[in-house]
Amino acid sequence: MLKVEHISKSYGSLKAVDDLSFTVQDGEIFGLLGENGAGKTTTFRIIMGLLDADEGSVTLNGKKIDYSITDQIGFVTEERSLLLKMTVKEQLIFYGVLKGMSEEEVLKEMDHWLERFEIPDYKDRKIKELSKGNQQKIQFISAVLNHPKLLILDEPFTGLDPINVQLLKEAVWDLQKEGCSIIFSSHQMEHIELFCEKLVLLVHGKSILEGYVKDIKHDYAKKNILIQGDMKKSDLEKIDGVISVVKEPQDYQVKIKNDEVVPHVFEAIKKYKIRKFVVEEPTLNEIFIAKVGEANEK
Amino acid sequence: MKSKLWYLTNVSLKKKMKTKWFVAANLVLLVLIVGFVNIDSIIGFFGGDFNEDQKIIVLDETNQVTTLFEQNVKTTLESVDSDQEITVTSSTEDIATLKEEVKENKQILIVFSFDEENMLEAQVISKKNIPTLTYQLISQSLNATKQQVELAHSSIDPEELARLSSPIQITREILDDQASNQDENMQLIMTTVFPTLILPIFMLVIFLVQMIGAEINEEKSTRSMEIIISNVSPKTHFFSKILSANIFVISQALLLLFYAGIALLIRSVIAPGFNLASLGEGVGSALQAIEATGIVAKLGYIIPLALVLLVLSFLAYSLVAGILASMTVNMEDFQQIQTPIMFICLAGYFLAIMSGLFDGSILIRILSYVPFISCLLSPALLVIGQIGIIDIVISIIVLALFNWWLIHYGLKIYKVGILNYSQDKMWSRLFKAAKEKK
Repeated sequence: MLKVEHISKSYGSLKAVDDLSFTVQDGEIFGLLGENGAGKTTTFRIIMGLLDADEGSVTLNGKKIDYSITDQIGFVTEERSLLLKMTVKEQLIFYGVLKGMSEEEVLKEMDHWLERFEIPDYKDRKIKELSKGNQQKIQFISAVLNHPKLLILDEPFTGLDPINVQLLKEAVWDLQKEGCSIIFSSHQMEHIELFCEKLVLLVHGKSILEGYVKDIKHDYAKKNILIQGDMKKSDLEKIDGVISVVKEPQDYQVKIKNDEVVPHVFEAIKKYKIRKFVVEEPTLNEIFIAKVGEANEK
Repeated sequence: MKSKLWYLTNVSLKKKMKTKWFVAANLVLLVLIVGFVNIDSIIGFFGGDFNEDQKIIVLDETNQVTTLFEQNVKTTLESVDSDQEITVTSSTEDIATLKEEVKENKQILIVFSFDEENMLEAQVISKKNIPTLTYQLISQSLNATKQQVELAHSSIDPEELARLSSPIQITREILDDQASNQDENMQLIMTTVFPTLILPIFMLVIFLVQMIGAEINEEKSTRSMEIIISNVSPKTHFFSKILSANIFVISQALLLLFYAGIALLIRSVIAPGFNLASLGEGVGSALQAIEATGIVAKLGYIIPLALVLLVLSFLAYSLVAGILASMTVNMEDFQQIQTPIMFICLAGYFLAIMSGLFDGSILIRILSYVPFISCLLSPALLVIGQIGIIDIVISIIVLALFNWWLIHYGLKIYKVGILNYSQDKMWSRLFKAAKEKK
């Protein structure tokens, strides 16, 4: 279990991380969200032990994270962290041995992962000769070669096509099943919704939203109603409690202030022929935009 | 952690040595060194000759000077220790025939005659320009011949003439106990032999700085630094770079010595009359001159002291290169920031080769203590006797303390720098990092 307790980090007058706390249980996928510059990378660096926090502590299974246990952590950075002149084999051996593995162990794992990612013949290719997607696969393999207890994924799907995204997703789920704690960061909210059970949303280094994804969505007051019928857009817009109406190809997407508005909307349009009336929870993307917007306004 | 240090060092070394560049550069160096040592044989193979025998035909209209001139040519050749052979033959044929002969063969025709005042004069005729050294030899011999002829024409008796012609007997006495009576000869050595010896050191320093800068910047620019530093401490990473670069340059220095050995071996096989046992004689006057300076007796302490200084200086250069590279994000920035260090090294090189000109200068003595310069300047000053062992020991102590200081503050800078990708206010960031408590 990863435990982050009240960590803070400042660069001069800039507070990059401000009293951040969260825990990630074994086998849990945790989302760390935030705009660019919100403090995600600093948080990752503190967790990895690359940076010392000004305050607070980070422990993995009760132990302070230092170089005695970093072998148990895998890290996929946002940008490619590969030495371009090396071959795939050299690169994986290099990172694997730095994680305390023997060359034989690395080669065994390498064969397994290259096979799984459908690039078994790439061993002797130079990293610089690979496509961005394949480089990303190698980067992922280098992070999971040692079966880490904690895996940090910073934008892991960047540059991957949908087929390779699926391959990587399945690999992440398998690691989760092995009991690996995973911290996941992405700007693509659909990935967060798909993977993460819990999340924390950072704005200017401070947590403004945290908890289980389903609770966050459930507790978020503003809902959406999808309506199909012969009413006009203006009929919906004039109902009290309706924030906005978007005409989509099939439906009207009606944003409402809270659950209590739902009966009023239904009452107002029941005279029309209604083919669809579905109340759905907001997307994580909407919550993200709304919450970050609110925090920035403050 | 120790094994990770050696693993990183090993990977870094392989990265430098298992490259086509390294193999190609060393092949070129081997060819150049072998070629340089055997240049005379190579030129000879293609039809040239350094010491081509020269024939001089003398047309002596005075009937007095041919033997004298021949003797003077021989004496002049001996005095400059030349391997060249000059044959002087006398001829009685007419000048037109002899000019034709000069045109066909590479001979030189010298016509001796008396002018209106009965003074000896000479006409030197050749098909093309005469090589400078040969012309100087001829000119010197002609002057000596003229002097002897003119003295013979005077009323001086032969004994008096011999006394006048003999060279002056010089007896040197130096009152300073510290100075060797061979130190004047040493100045010549300093201007010829020493620059050749320290040039490889200067080149290796440039290699060292460039290699460390390139490797650290490669890891930074590809962001692989983050993965590496998440598995090994910045301290381990730093020392792996320093170790690998120093092992590389020392290996390269040993390879240069090995290539020199191969070159001499080849010379012993292909050059007639040359063998390794007679190396001192073969290399000729240079080694003899060095031996004559009495330096050989000093080598017992000069070499170990110079080596200690050299190793500590390599360490200082690599530490600075590592620290500066950690604060930059690409090679262009690193090139700019390391330029002052290279200028200091260059200044040390020139001060070392000109050290003989600064006899007694306190400034030069103080400069010989300065890190970066001391490895080049101090041995030079010690060789020519301008500083003593105490001064070298001071240089070593200063350098050791400087290295400790670099490691102490450099590690703080390195730890902050290698994960920092900012390109602004580099010096401000550097000083700020050095002040951090841990």
